[in-house]
Amino acid sequence: MGNLIKSEFRKTTTTGLWWGLMIPTVLLAFGWALGTGAIFKSVSDFMGSSEAEELATLLNVDPSQWQMSVFGIARSINVATIFPMIFGGLAIANEINRKTITTTFLTAPNRVSALAAKMVVYILWGAIFGIAIVASVSIGIALTSNSGSLPDAGGWLALAGVGVLSSILMTMFGVGVGALMTSVIGTTVVLLLYMLIVENGLQLVLASQGLPEIIGFLPNGAVNGLTGSVASSLFLANAGVVPEDMVEGLRAIAGALGAFDWWLSGLIFLAWTALFFLGGWAATQRKDIT
Amino acid sequence: MHDGSGRIVVQNLTKQFGPVAAVQNLSFTVEPGSVTGFLGPNGAGKTTTLRMLLGLVTPTAGIGLINGRPFSQLGNPARVVGAVLEAQGFHPKRTARNHLRVYAAAIGVPDSRADQVLGLVGLGAAGDRKAGGYSLGMKQRLALATALLGDPQILVLDEPANGLDPEGIAWLRTFLQSYARSGRTVLISSHLLAEVEQTVDQVVIISRGQTMYYGPLDHLRNQQQGRVLVQPSDTGALVAALREDGVAGIEQLPDGRLAVSGVDAKQVADTALKAGVSIYGIQEEKADLERLFFQLTNGQYAAPGQYAQPVAYQQPGYQTPPQGYQQQGYQQPPAGYQQQPPPGYEQYQQPPPGYQTPPQGYPGAPQPPQDNPYGPQHGQGGLGGGA
Repeated sequence: MGNLIKSEFRKTTTTGLWWGLMIPTVLLAFGWALGTGAIFKSVSDFMGSSEAEELATLLNVDPSQWQMSVFGIARSINVATIFPMIFGGLAIANEINRKTITTTFLTAPNRVSALAAKMVVYILWGAIFGIAIVASVSIGIALTSNSGSLPDAGGWLALAGVGVLSSILMTMFGVGVGALMTSVIGTTVVLLLYMLIVENGLQLVLASQGLPEIIGFLPNGAVNGLTGSVASSLFLANAGVVPEDMVEGLRAIAGALGAFDWWLSGLIFLAWTALFFLGGWAATQRKDIT
Repeated sequence: MHDGSGRIVVQNLTKQFGPVAAVQNLSFTVEPGSVTGFLGPNGAGKTTTLRMLLGLVTPTAGIGLINGRPFSQLGNPARVVGAVLEAQGFHPKRTARNHLRVYAAAIGVPDSRADQVLGLVGLGAAGDRKAGGYSLGMKQRLALATALLGDPQILVLDEPANGLDPEGIAWLRTFLQSYARSGRTVLISSHLLAEVEQTVDQVVIISRGQTMYYGPLDHLRNQQQGRVLVQPSDTGALVAALREDGVAGIEQLPDGRLAVSGVDAKQVADTALKAGVSIYGIQEEKADLERLFFQLTNGQYAAPGQYAQPVAYQQPGYQTPPQGYQQQGYQQPPAGYQQQPPPGYEQYQQPPPGYQTPPQGYPGAPQPPQDNPYGPQHGQGGLGGGA
């Protein structure tokens, strides 16, 4: 098994795909962090200004304690995990497309071990991408946010943890979809279209129909809930008293509208990932390699 | 674990791709120590058979065994069998050396083995180039290098000569022969007999997913008696004279000449002289292997039933062959050899070791009638023969 893991890892490092996707991942994560950091900074600057002071007093909140940056961190992580998902999506689709899957299966004791080795390697890559994303996002946020709005060490660790976890899960989700689709272009298009457009459209419809709780069950909603719920909990824990009506709005800002607690969101997305991953595994296990 | 015999056994392999029967009840054995040619026209089912043997394609029925085991039970399979299946199985952006290192890691051989096999196939200088920039011939060599990584006991090559230049083919021939001489097994497929004729010792010839012949190539060679083409002044008189001399293989050709088999030109001329028949032209014709191969694999285009042998035998469990197969089977000997089984077919009466036990699912496969020279142990008899 160690041999196969080594072999699978070499496969990923001997082509340019990993850094070809790592560069846009880091740039996107950094860029989003800079941007969202700046936006939330201006929001909290406004809340801290004299005009808003009355409002703040009225609401009995202290904006200087608001860790607005956590929303930026959550949002940036969500966007950047698109790339590890694509990386995972190409894992099996590329091998089938390039026909290297033939030699892969000829040099492995059986398909189960070959695919298990692939799984281990892509979990590792999901973590590597996740760490790169969290690091880029943290630097970007730190550059543009007020120091007061940054989370404390514990909060940052919690966000970093769910960030890496969601990157791993997104990678595995991609692996599964890619194994089912077996087409490089098809996998990429379907993953991007669904995650960026289709589900966002669905979420809008659900939210407007007053059914936001369903969003938390959808793949993108669930994975966003993983980071978004942690972000909004962190924010609420430090923001003092926040009116009930505002909580929903804050969760929407965090990208976790309708999402459940972070662990429940994580479990829901894990179920989606397992569904596609095991489906893809089963398809590859039985596939005639011609 | 596997038995280390180096033997490949294909038993009643059948593969349906939807409505298409790619391989039908195919059986043969490949013994170590020789190069076996796996021959058949394009689309005969060669690649599918090899892929079933290598566990890449799941058979609809039957089983392929390597060293007495299915591929999935070989343990570290690349140590037992190396395969060259297609020249395209490379990532175009990965260098040849990295490609080999990836699979060296999977097999568990040291990285230095990658450089060894690169040198072995003559790619030592091109190891750091990306496989995408390789010519077809270089890709074939790289595929062979990949197959050799685990220093396997058995080599399976699917059309390895494709894309190789004459020099490369000559090199491959020498390489494979020395590989087999060291007691290992080589199975090489081709759609051209001429391509492998000088390389192989044994042949398995298939057509339309069925075994037409398997046995030593020499037997095929020996059975090709030459023919004498003669243009006599009096055809009837010469035929009568030849018959008198006990020559049976006489055929009238469309151009008016006689084709006489089993004798040489001198004997025909002497007979004609004795009979007082003038000879306007005489010529010895040597039927070549290629023609025989063509006849074995294209028999279905000949007049149905003409050469068919009666076969009173139906293998249980055998599927109904598709329409159009009813009237012909492998029973059809090559034209010009009618009613006389070619010597090579005796192989069908002696199943190699390993055939003794029919696989589960074919219970009680009857022994073929002893007096049937085509002894259809391999299910071919189920085709009905068109008697």
